[in-house]
Amino acid sequence: MRAGFRIELASGEAFTCAPGDTVLGAGLRHGLGLAYECNAGACGSCKLELLAGTVHEVYPDAPGLRPKEREKGKRLACQCVPLEDLRIKMRTGADYVPAIPPSRRTARLVARRAVTHDLMELTFETDDAARFLPGQYALLHLAAPIATRAYSMSNVPGAAGEGRWQFIVRRVPGGLVSARLCDEFTPGATLELDAPYGIAHYRAGVMRPIVCVAGGSGLAPMLAIVRELAARAEAPPAFLFYGGRSARDVPDLAAEIGAADPARTAISAVVSMPGLASEEHPLTLPAGLVHEHLARSLPGAFAAYEYYLAGPPPMIEACVRMLVADHGVPPTQIHFDRFF
Amino acid sequence: MPSVMLCRVEEVACGTALRVEPEGLPPLAVFNLDGEFFVMDDTCSHGEASLCDGEIEDGQIDCPWHHARFCIRTGKALTFPAVVPQKTYAVSVEAGEVRIEL
Repeated sequence: MRAGFRIELASGEAFTCAPGDTVLGAGLRHGLGLAYECNAGACGSCKLELLAGTVHEVYPDAPGLRPKEREKGKRLACQCVPLEDLRIKMRTGADYVPAIPPSRRTARLVARRAVTHDLMELTFETDDAARFLPGQYALLHLAAPIATRAYSMSNVPGAAGEGRWQFIVRRVPGGLVSARLCDEFTPGATLELDAPYGIAHYRAGVMRPIVCVAGGSGLAPMLAIVRELAARAEAPPAFLFYGGRSARDVPDLAAEIGAADPARTAISAVVSMPGLASEEHPLTLPAGLVHEHLARSLPGAFAAYEYYLAGPPPMIEACVRMLVADHGVPPTQIHFDRFF
Repeated sequence: MPSVMLCRVEEVACGTALRVEPEGLPPLAVFNLDGEFFVMDDTCSHGEASLCDGEIEDGQIDCPWHHARFCIRTGKALTFPAVVPQKTYAVSVEAGEVRIEL
């Protein structure tokens, strides 16, 4: 059996793709800046043109590719497993060059903790050090039956080089994988963890004050960023905005940050469906959508901030529209990975 | 007002787009919608993609990279991830030449 296939880009660079690996994963592991975002076949960012060779497509009906594009020989690098040597044409860019090239290892579940009624924090350990930038995500590969999901890390990499990875999983009604992770995965269970991925990571060199906007399990990468800020001696002030449907969807954010310097992060939360309030969970938070709340309450000029966003696609879209189209914030100051 | 010649009408078939690079201007996309010509900036307002490589459907151009859609007549950004309109130009056709007014 061959050790892998040779993938050659039209621009001249080449790399080896291990058996079973995707073109995108292999290229990033090689340190190339292949364009991508979601790693799940939905965003279309990792489109390539297949010039020579054949591939197996993990998800042939991926929504990130139009039928017309497929007819023209386009494919999604995150869904292509080579069956022979390939020649491809694909976008690359300095923004996509991985600071830490992704790699695969076995991870063991060591702890579970309920964050809200449907958000569960899962803590995994690996033999190697957890190396990633706050805001990045991992691909979790489950076996029997095989399934892959992307989840962002919520912790910050430990200084001591420990192999600790924490994720926040939302139990999606009818969602098979989230149910397996939340209910069936007990300490000692293992999966394959492929990380780190994602371009919406914390930019340590930028000293503008920081705005993090999160909804649902988008909380995880935003927690990683504010936890990173809290751990730094010198960091700009931060604002964390969280949107939930009702009060019971909103975690105890101050406790979650667990900051050494809690005054550095200003926390606010809103609920989009105040009608869901109950005796057990009364309406104690302002009602509204998180981008509207942000527009009302962020002090000063919006272009003075650096933005990190994670959450449901309509929340991301509403935030970007408001910031860029209504307030002239340069898109280069807004960071998010589009998941669907 | 200066006017710039971009191409000849027969260079852009009905329902297609042509990328032109006039001196001193950003790359431009010339569209032919049923014999009527429209011109906008070719580089998508969201990313780095050339809109001329995208699909034309119902008077809209679908960006080949992230599938943001723009109205070819007005440049309006119709779908995410684009939120900023494409710059459009006033077009005239004289003696078989597609021209824009600056």
